[in-house]
Amino acid sequence: MELLECINLEKRYGDKVVLKDINLKIPRGKIIGLLGKNGTGKTTLIKLINDLLTPTKGKVLVNGMEVGVESKKIISYLPERTYLDKSMTVEKVIKYFEDFYDNFDSNKARKLLKKLDLDTNQKLSKMSKGMQEKVQLVLVMSRCADLYILDEPLGGVDPATRDYILDTILTNFNENASVIISTHLISDIEKILDEVIFIDKGKIILTSSTDELREKEKSSIDEIFRRMFKC
Amino acid sequence: MLKKLLKYDLEKIYKVLIVFYSLSIFFSILTRIFLSIENSFILNIIGKVCSGVTISMIFNILINNVMGLWSRFRNNFYADESYLTHTLPIDKKTLYLSKTLSSIITLSSSILVIAMSLFIAYYSKENLELVKNLLLPLATVYDSTIIVIILSFIFICFLEIMNMLESGYVGLVLGHRKNSNKIAFSVLYGFITYLLTQIFTILVVFVTALFNKDLMNLFYTMDTLNIDTIKLCIYLAMIIYTLNIFILYFTNLKLFSKGVNVD
Repeated sequence: MELLECINLEKRYGDKVVLKDINLKIPRGKIIGLLGKNGTGKTTLIKLINDLLTPTKGKVLVNGMEVGVESKKIISYLPERTYLDKSMTVEKVIKYFEDFYDNFDSNKARKLLKKLDLDTNQKLSKMSKGMQEKVQLVLVMSRCADLYILDEPLGGVDPATRDYILDTILTNFNENASVIISTHLISDIEKILDEVIFIDKGKIILTSSTDELREKEKSSIDEIFRRMFKC
Repeated sequence: MLKKLLKYDLEKIYKVLIVFYSLSIFFSILTRIFLSIENSFILNIIGKVCSGVTISMIFNILINNVMGLWSRFRNNFYADESYLTHTLPIDKKTLYLSKTLSSIITLSSSILVIAMSLFIAYYSKENLELVKNLLLPLATVYDSTIIVIILSFIFICFLEIMNMLESGYVGLVLGHRKNSNKIAFSVLYGFITYLLTQIFTILVVFVTALFNKDLMNLFYTMDTLNIDTIKLCIYLAMIIYTLNIFILYFTNLKLFSKGVNVD
């Protein structure tokens, strides 16, 4: 059984079609890059998988079940925005995650935050946006989930932090889990990707293993992307 | 999970409400102290100012309570925080129930604090006599005590505010199903929903009045209602408002459970 399956998925806003005929299968144990330009439907697809949007047509299956309480137990999702209650301290957010997610490892979260020299007694509102994003990433990666979905985890952070984020992702998920990373900063992540999904104008235009694609096109994923999405 | 959700909801709402609760009690004590001092013009003026502040705090409690609950509903279900709320492993029914229960709990405590403030500031033998004389005829008809009559009025006020809150929640859920102008539509739908509940209330009273001549006077004359008709009105108000709240709750729950579209 596939970890994630999208069947004939479609999302419309009135007459505007944002996603159309999305058929997708995500196996276990892979790091997958969901790649596309801005506004091509990456975030919409991710939001549909996470029950933040209701599909117009089709369905999403996680472990063979429709999106719901059970799927949310095994998906750890990092949105592209800061989404935590800013009046909370980091410690309070850790407690919140501990309360609601059975698979959340608070010790691991504290250890990762300590590495970042983050004061857990500090309020999120007193932190910079970059710091808040790091806290969110640590919280998401401290869950022992089956599927991690990271929407633009590298957006708006400096190159040194990007390396830290990639390192955190790589060292904090088990071999049976999969990671979907949505980004347009391909050169930074292509070294860690097993598979890529190219999305354009709401449609999946390419699904391939990164090694096969590099071999076939004799160039890096970043170059292939630039060629395919040339304006 | 419901317990945990309620814990966080209540914590967030009471963080603001507790300030108004404290101010209301504080000024009611000051009112009591200053108004009890006789033969001092200045202290009497201060007492009256404190009395005004106490009344404004009482209104603040109600306004902040209602606005705070609507704002929390929107932030949790449709703004940035919704990315966390809707990805928690909790079904939509429980999420919605938590909001309704936190509304009931905070509204009850607000009414209690308001009653306490009024008691502290204005309790006196004369005022008590005044209330007794006003409510005694009604209590006699009900074969009940004045306390029960007061509690019934408070209960009707509570139901009316709950009705307004649930109408607001319906407005928020319906408004956020639109693709644009979500807040404007939320306000509009909330207002329309509230209006519909009021029309429904009048309609039920009118239908009942078809079988009760005295109650029909409510619609066709300006005559003072007799005590039996007031009694019937109180019963009707309790039944209709409770019915309204249940209808709104289940309709909204059904709409909410169909799924959300978060920006």
